[in-house]
Amino acid sequence: MPEVLVVDDSKVMRDMVVACLRPYPGLNFTHASSGLEAIERLSLSPYDLVVLDLNMPDIGGIEVVEFVRGQDHLRALPIIIVTTRGDDASRTRALTAGANRFMTKPFKPDDILAEARGLLEEKPA
Amino acid sequence: MTASVDLADFLPAYLAEVEELLDSAHRHLMAVEASARRGSAHPKSVRELFRALHTIKGLSAMVDVEPIVSISHWMESSLRQADQAGGRLPESSVEPLMEGLRAVEQRMRQLASGKDAAPVPPGLLERLEALGVSTSVVPGAARPVAVTLDETLALGSRLTPVEREQLTTSVGHRRPMRVDFIPGAERAARGITINSVRERLATLGDLVKVVPLAGPAPGGGSLTFVLLLSTEASDAVLMEAAGGEPAQVRALSTLTASLADDGAPAPVREPELEEPEEGRRSSGTLRVEVSRLDEALERLASLVVNRSRLQRAVADLTAVGAPTRELRAILHENGRQLRDMRAAILRLRMVRVGDVLDRLPLLVRGLRRTTGKPVRLEMDVGDAELDKAVADRILPALVHLVRNAVDHALESPEERRAAGKSLEGTVRLGCHANASGWVDLTVTDDGRGVDAEAVARRARVPAPRDSDDLLELLCRPGFSTREEVTSTSGRGMGMDIVRRIVVDQLGGDLRLETRVGVGTTFHLRVPLTITLLDAIIFECAGLRYAVAVGSVEELIEVEAARVVRPAGAHGVALVERRGQAVSLVSLAQLLGSASAQQAVDATPARGLVVRQRGDLVAFGVDRLLGQQEIVLRPLEDPLVRVPGVAGATDLGDGQPTLVLDLNALGAARRPGAGGREERAT
Repeated sequence: MPEVLVVDDSKVMRDMVVACLRPYPGLNFTHASSGLEAIERLSLSPYDLVVLDLNMPDIGGIEVVEFVRGQDHLRALPIIIVTTRGDDASRTRALTAGANRFMTKPFKPDDILAEARGLLEEKPA
Repeated sequence: MTASVDLADFLPAYLAEVEELLDSAHRHLMAVEASARRGSAHPKSVRELFRALHTIKGLSAMVDVEPIVSISHWMESSLRQADQAGGRLPESSVEPLMEGLRAVEQRMRQLASGKDAAPVPPGLLERLEALGVSTSVVPGAARPVAVTLDETLALGSRLTPVEREQLTTSVGHRRPMRVDFIPGAERAARGITINSVRERLATLGDLVKVVPLAGPAPGGGSLTFVLLLSTEASDAVLMEAAGGEPAQVRALSTLTASLADDGAPAPVREPELEEPEEGRRSSGTLRVEVSRLDEALERLASLVVNRSRLQRAVADLTAVGAPTRELRAILHENGRQLRDMRAAILRLRMVRVGDVLDRLPLLVRGLRRTTGKPVRLEMDVGDAELDKAVADRILPALVHLVRNAVDHALESPEERRAAGKSLEGTVRLGCHANASGWVDLTVTDDGRGVDAEAVARRARVPAPRDSDDLLELLCRPGFSTREEVTSTSGRGMGMDIVRRIVVDQLGGDLRLETRVGVGTTFHLRVPLTITLLDAIIFECAGLRYAVAVGSVEELIEVEAARVVRPAGAHGVALVERRGQAVSLVSLAQLLGSASAQQAVDATPARGLVVRQRGDLVAFGVDRLLGQQEIVLRPLEDPLVRVPGVAGATDLGDGQPTLVLDLNALGAARRPGAGGREERAT
């Protein structure tokens, strides 16, 4: 069963992301409310997809991406970055750091679902 | 195929979260304003303010509330600049930002009441856009003490200049420390995670930075979080906060900082009044719907009921001479445990009074602007706590008293000067909990005092003899001491509503103390906790009663033709319900307001069907009046209350209304548990 880590300091936003991805059958969701918690969880158990907010209180999404990409066993982990309009500069930085996809709020539920589907299915089984 | 989600479904959750974010934004903006007035920067609050608005913007975009997206976008932009300028915001920027927060708040209210959010007020975006924020980075007021960070840690390069300064600026006995936390599955299972460790350390000092380091770690881990903080806490305390081994604690420098530990005179500590106590606020908190706590209380209530049955059974055993000493001891202990557990659950509903009154400084700030009176709000609320349900009810009363104080009680600066008073008026809010389950709140002003003679003239009554009489007059519905309606406290509620909240709703006490020319104090005493109940209100034999919705299985129409009544006044009447016979009990007769014969003569119109020890019983009543949330005031300690009566409530008319516990009412009189041979006498 694919494991998805949803990282955002806003609970409502995490719930929305989960609701958007729910139509994809068989996903298991874990919440993380901070970048540090995301790193902790990633070090403790394997995940198949990370949905990551950029703007968080302790360390931001980009630092999480950089950290993840610096780890051998996490190098191929698909990451979708979610951020807010007006953060265009971060887009380049996030993609350079190694994020796979970039969604800007507001996004349509179907759009993030399609991106997740693509990333989960292109991954070698 | 599942239909795709509608994000509009998230509106209620969105509203709740944005409300919290707005609270945080207000608090931080006030802190920024205080700093700006002194000409200093407040990087932490500017950053938090920025983040709150950024989150509001993102969430609002998701649920498609365009006006809030626009407002928060422009506020965020100006704050981003301030953040980049080292947390420095000119004082002139505060007002437009306040205006922005107010505009967001208004739209939240519109959404909450089912309306669309109004368009952005004209000119607001332009004002926000025009906020010129100084971009020069000015070093903080405190000079860094010469502490060199241990560069061999290879962490120095990851700190920004501001962070480096935060860490090395030695205040008091603070030392720069490094705490290494190694996460692990077993530690996570015990709740020791980076989030909990970070929150605990944040309460112990100034947590400057957390850096994750990959690589083999002590204890077999592969990840280390390095937490850098400036703190007075001892190594042992830090170690404890980090969850013990395999965590590590070490000082970042052995140079200057350690001198303070050797008993050298400590430099005077900078006051940090404006620092929002973020650490304490968020330390390990969990948001729980109040209804879930109520559910726990309900479960507990059934345990309590069970215990009374057990107690009766033991009493019966004792009566026939059985050796029950041990049993009674256990029962006694059990009673204490239940009381402790009830207290523990009630404590979960406690909120800090300081948090509840968070918005009062903002209110007073607004009043300062609208009335033009210089006024200072002093809050002395300490760590007192209050049941959330009480807090929600008492807040409007306090807001009203503070408004009244500023608007009516405080004199204009000219009058104050003439009276030899300081030009700035003071409103003081005090709070302390006393041991017996009550909280005392005071709202004091140093204004003109209440002129009892004038009040009496206006009310066209003789002058009041004492302050209780005076309060009585002030609390007459619609009474106002002002001819003209002022924009601040002329509308809304009067003192009568304050009294209704404090006395009638909460069962508390309201007193007044006033001296002409010196000032006025309102003393409010409210219970630490109250019980809320969704209740059905009904009428029986001319009196009103309430009963908990949850205890009623069904409401039925009682048709005289379907009531089977045995001959004589003492048989059990039966009423048909879905093809089944249910005992019909005359509530009027049970409560003693009708005789057995009257009960037979008048068939009740409606029946409240409840379960008593497994059997259904219908209580006949005359009329249903509606359903509403009530504040239950227990008549006695819940562990020793009268069976059948849960307490009393005020339905808003100032008259006490009995709240019945139909599950227990009359049941005590019934012989045995079978109950089918019930007699309704």
